[in-house]
Amino acid sequence: MEAVPSCQATVVDLLDRVLDKGIVVHADLIISMGGIPLIGVNLRAALAGMETMLEYGMMRDWDQAVRIQESQRRSEAALADSLPAPEAVNI
Amino acid sequence: MHDVVQIGPSSSQRRPLTGLAGRYVYCVADAGVQASLGNVGLEHSEVYTIPWQDICAVVHNCPPQPYLSGDRDAVQAWVMTHQRTVEAAWATWGTVLPLAFDTIIVAAAGGGADQQVADWLSREYGSLKARIQRVKGAAEYGVQVFWDTASAAREVTLSSLDAGKLRAQASSASPGMAYMYRLQLEHLLRNAMEAKGAELSRGLYDRIRAHAAEVRVEKAKQAEPGLRMVLSLSCLVHPDRYAQLGQELDKIGREQGLRVRFTGPWPPYSFVRDC
Repeated sequence: MEAVPSCQATVVDLLDRVLDKGIVVHADLIISMGGIPLIGVNLRAALAGMETMLEYGMMRDWDQAVRIQESQRRSEAALADSLPAPEAVNI
Repeated sequence: MHDVVQIGPSSSQRRPLTGLAGRYVYCVADAGVQASLGNVGLEHSEVYTIPWQDICAVVHNCPPQPYLSGDRDAVQAWVMTHQRTVEAAWATWGTVLPLAFDTIIVAAAGGGADQQVADWLSREYGSLKARIQRVKGAAEYGVQVFWDTASAAREVTLSSLDAGKLRAQASSASPGMAYMYRLQLEHLLRNAMEAKGAELSRGLYDRIRAHAAEVRVEKAKQAEPGLRMVLSLSCLVHPDRYAQLGQELDKIGREQGLRVRFTGPWPPYSFVRDC
């Protein structure tokens, strides 16, 4: 298997590295915004096309988690339904 | 005593925008050079180096404020430009320690921005050199393994007697009781899949780890419906192990219900944070 180079990888692959990693410079030296990680959130919000930062920060991850959980639950339920009746088991 | 080698335009030309009080730092490079990479930076800024002994910071001059915008195309372009500049420095100087997007060093009581950058390199010199040694010659690769939930559930169910019992009970009970047994069955399935997933990811971790100098476990993220991400790793890999890692991932991808994503080479973002 050959690795997909960075120029062909997804935006998420890039953001995971470029926003959250790398050398940390002490806060005294750099521009900060009172310690609130606005930059990362703003970028993700901008790339996700959401209007409001608050809306994004509070609702999006929760919403996505619930959707995926529900979808998985439904596919597990469908699978449970489709299973053939088991043979008689000594209980 | 380290030689300072000059490549690129002369130093008197290198900083046309000397009025700008911020130094946007892309990475630290393993070279004590005073050089320019040209106008490859954000907003076509000239990217150049501020050296200290045998290392340098790769920077561009900017106003003392972060790059922020609601325009997603602009933001995406900035982020990609950041990455491309780090990659250009990597290609030019062999080993780089990347910084995150939007790290801007500014003037302070101690002196102007250039001085702050040089002082930072000086103070952190030992730690930066140690990190350079750690990543020298290697590249970062991302590995994610996904498990097809349908085949996972099938594997798990067929081996579970309790599930069989519940299924039998559910099919013979009243509708209300049947619903309750169904919920228990799904709960059982979910727990068994979690356990199987954990066991699976431990085994996969060991197999992948064998081909990397270092491995960092990343948070497994939400996958598309029907798939579960069981493992997400950042791997520091030397060129002589790359082929074997690829072969191992091929084997994993051929196993029942598994899918692999493999990205890289990345500059070693995940392996430079502490030393």
